[in-house]
Amino acid sequence: MKVLFPRTSGNSMTGVLLNTAGGITGGDRFDINAHARTDCHLILTTQAAERAYRAQPGETGRVSTRLTVDEGARIDWLPQETLLYDHSALDRQLTIDMADTARFVMCEPVVFGRVAMGETVARGAFRDRVDLYRGGRLLFADRTRLDGQIAETLRGLATAKDCAAMASVLLAAPDADRFLAPAQALMPATGGVSLIRTGLLFARLLATDSFELRRTLQPLIQLLSGDQIPRTWMI
Amino acid sequence: MATGARIPMIMATGMPMPIDPAPLLTLAQWLSPAYPVGAFSYSHGLEWAVEVGEIHDGPSFQAWLEQILIHGAGRTDAILLAEAWRAPDDQSCHDIDDLARALAPSRERALETEQQGQSFARVTADVWSLPLPAYTYPVAVGWAARMLNLPLPETVLLYTHAFAANLTSASIRLVPLGQTEGQTILAALAPLCADLAADVQTLTVEDLGSACMMADVASMKHETQYSRLFQS
Repeated sequence: MKVLFPRTSGNSMTGVLLNTAGGITGGDRFDINAHARTDCHLILTTQAAERAYRAQPGETGRVSTRLTVDEGARIDWLPQETLLYDHSALDRQLTIDMADTARFVMCEPVVFGRVAMGETVARGAFRDRVDLYRGGRLLFADRTRLDGQIAETLRGLATAKDCAAMASVLLAAPDADRFLAPAQALMPATGGVSLIRTGLLFARLLATDSFELRRTLQPLIQLLSGDQIPRTWMI
Repeated sequence: MATGARIPMIMATGMPMPIDPAPLLTLAQWLSPAYPVGAFSYSHGLEWAVEVGEIHDGPSFQAWLEQILIHGAGRTDAILLAEAWRAPDDQSCHDIDDLARALAPSRERALETEQQGQSFARVTADVWSLPLPAYTYPVAVGWAARMLNLPLPETVLLYTHAFAANLTSASIRLVPLGQTEGQTILAALAPLCADLAADVQTLTVEDLGSACMMADVASMKHETQYSRLFQS
């Protein structure tokens, strides 16, 4: 794993994560740590879609990310799509530890199978955990668990209505409330957004493929993170 | 998946009742629709799914509820309840409650679990003289059951069944379904409640996880639904 820093302006820095291994296979282990100190702004994205390849039985790729955001600081966590191949096994944990006056923007898109090639994730294992602490207290947690016959599970009315792409989008900031109405205006039929509590805005989106998903995500990220959207998210 | 009957409970053996009826009667009281937690006012996003026509008859409602029991809040709540029941002390139970609150994916789902939990805690604390904080609903039920030494599998069984029954009542009103059709669906899904009651014996917070993304979206969309009977 490498980080490139192509752009710095004022207190803002963009870091582009580059997985030199070209993807994640079963048994891989990645740990990412980033810390934005007081009043700094760090934008993190990835150079390409992250691929979770077919895993050997009993092996699971693990990605653990820890982000720390100090008083008045801000992190935008905007990786490109994570692409799950058929028979992949991926276990991810994202932990955010932010100060009360900090700002955190997250967009985590996941795509099930190489849709353009007609591939689905017939079988696989995907665990995704997000824990966000603000002022030391657990404010938001999300747990996604897809095991076994993933394509079959995703077919349901309550699960994904056969959508092959999904995203979780989060804004934790003192002024998050004012983004609710404009974010609602961007939602497609298969996406929703809610101000769960004051200062905490969460959106869940589904789409037939990553192209459709990006059509919603791009303006949504633009809205939530302002004009400093990483180049990887421009369309 | 729906194997059912894995929990040895009261069997129709013709023998005298083999267990103490008091714990079951307490659970029956807590998890009856008459217990004042306001369950009837929450649809868990069902009202939106009906509004847009995704749920429009018995089979579509049954599929939706089945997924929520297996992959969604049915399973999540069962695990949270069990972990509260097993919590070694007040602080551990507080931590589970923090997690339960944090897991709410939308404002109305937070309201659903917080308000029912608060109402449950208030009545139960008064009637049974328990020091029961205003926890989220599954955590409050789990912790109260533990304080009264009520058995965990039966608590999860009746809690999950009450959740399924409440959504069935909502679908009878909303879709609408006939009473008989609604009860037929609930009877068909009852074995899933039994499965959960058995499964939670070995499941912990590490096993939490949902695949019911559309149900979350429905609860978010419900916030702006023009005409609505339910609070979620």
